[in-house]
Amino acid sequence: MLNVLVGFFLATLITELFTTRLFRLVFWYAVNSLFLGIIALYNGYRLSDKEMIIMGLITIVVKFLIIPYVLKYFFIKFKVKRQIVPNIAIHYSVIIIPIVLVFTLYLTTPVLYNFSSNANYIAVAISSLMLSLLLMMEYKNVAAKIIGFLSIENSLFLLGVSATDGMPMLVELGVFVDLLMLIVIINILFKYQGEKL
Amino acid sequence: MIDYILTVLLVFMISPFLVGLIKSFKMFMLFKRPVSPFQPYVDFMKLIKKEVIYSKESSVITKIAPFMILSPIIVVVFLLPPIFHGSFYISFMDAFTITGLLSLSTFFLMLLGLDSASAFGGIGSSREAFIAALVEPAMILTVFTISLIANNIGVGEAALNLSFHFPIHHAASFILAGIAFFILLIAENGRIPVDNPETHLELTMVHEAMILDRSGPDLALIETAGALKFGVFASLFVTLFLPFGANLCWCLAVSVFVLKLVFVSLVVGWIEINTAKLRLFKVPNLLGIAIIFGFLSLVIYYILGA
Repeated sequence: MLNVLVGFFLATLITELFTTRLFRLVFWYAVNSLFLGIIALYNGYRLSDKEMIIMGLITIVVKFLIIPYVLKYFFIKFKVKRQIVPNIAIHYSVIIIPIVLVFTLYLTTPVLYNFSSNANYIAVAISSLMLSLLLMMEYKNVAAKIIGFLSIENSLFLLGVSATDGMPMLVELGVFVDLLMLIVIINILFKYQGEKL
Repeated sequence: MIDYILTVLLVFMISPFLVGLIKSFKMFMLFKRPVSPFQPYVDFMKLIKKEVIYSKESSVITKIAPFMILSPIIVVVFLLPPIFHGSFYISFMDAFTITGLLSLSTFFLMLLGLDSASAFGGIGSSREAFIAALVEPAMILTVFTISLIANNIGVGEAALNLSFHFPIHHAASFILAGIAFFILLIAENGRIPVDNPETHLELTMVHEAMILDRSGPDLALIETAGALKFGVFASLFVTLFLPFGANLCWCLAVSVFVLKLVFVSLVVGWIEINTAKLRLFKVPNLLGIAIIFGFLSLVIYYILGA
């Protein structure tokens, strides 16, 4: 069950890399976060860890509902260009994405022996980190780069959920507050995007 | 042996019905008065009586191409996985055999388009080559992954293995391979997000452009090849990715098989009425997703063991 969810987490992240429309990108980010939240819920239920269940609920509420809605609202308000053209042609990314996946597997192989449980999810988390970096590199548009940054945060959260058996809740809550602050700052940035400061 | 022959005959007979069913389902959902789903049979009987006219620029390729388009697909129909337990099947059929035979058929279709010496044929052939080059690696990857999951390189044995003891711990890579194969089913058969089989608009047509100046029995053969190709893909999808019902008694197994084929056709029709046709240079995005999902299922099979 956890394998299926982790697989879909990676699959939605890869679908983000192939989109050329901004709102579609936000939608796939929301679906990605939904799978992340379900992973946290399931893992918390399995380990009977109440903190992780709360984190999963907060993830679903904040990242699946609030952040995409707020982003969409501000994208419409500030008239951000909604067609995003990737710098890397699709033909190249068809080759680059498998290379990244295989490369991160080899990169993490020496580390994997140190972990007793869920060792394989670390490889997936690090490869999704690399893919989010690729997402940031791929688009020139600032709005798409923000989605890339949020995806990096998602994959770090996956690493936290799967590698450790639950991080301290204070750390995770701090991350969420940071994210909300980030969204506010980004929107100020958007407001002055066209003007000379 | 007799059930094997009957299975092959069933696939032969039901394929035009599935294509007709998609069309009538689409018309029904768009509030038009639907044509009968048996219309392809009527069209076949009408076309077979008409005369053939060859353009004077065309060479011998045009005369042999309809047979060469149809015959590899007929061979693939004979090599399909069994639909119920105890049926005879051919075990050496693997990913490369299917893809190679289907590519042979596509190759002659492209030659036919080029041979007619009209501009449309060339357009259609180049587009078909563009799509086929992206379909083939994804198809090999997907079928290869499903053979790995089922512990056998042959497709027939793999389908039986999946049906009898489904490897639930490999569900992640199984589902991803299923998504990839469904995208290929749509792309290779020229359904709507990739190609619209109903229009003759020069901007959009791929398959229709190549067969534009064929008539009579030749056209009937090519249309039959198209319908059979859909039948082959649908029954591969049904036996490999919806593996249930094969261990029932033969009458129930066959009716479950037919119901699953009808279900796949209805899903394809439902996708067709809900999506717009992609621009030609957007097609690599869709097929890129198929390739990456095929590769992802292979990677997840090795990394996660799932």
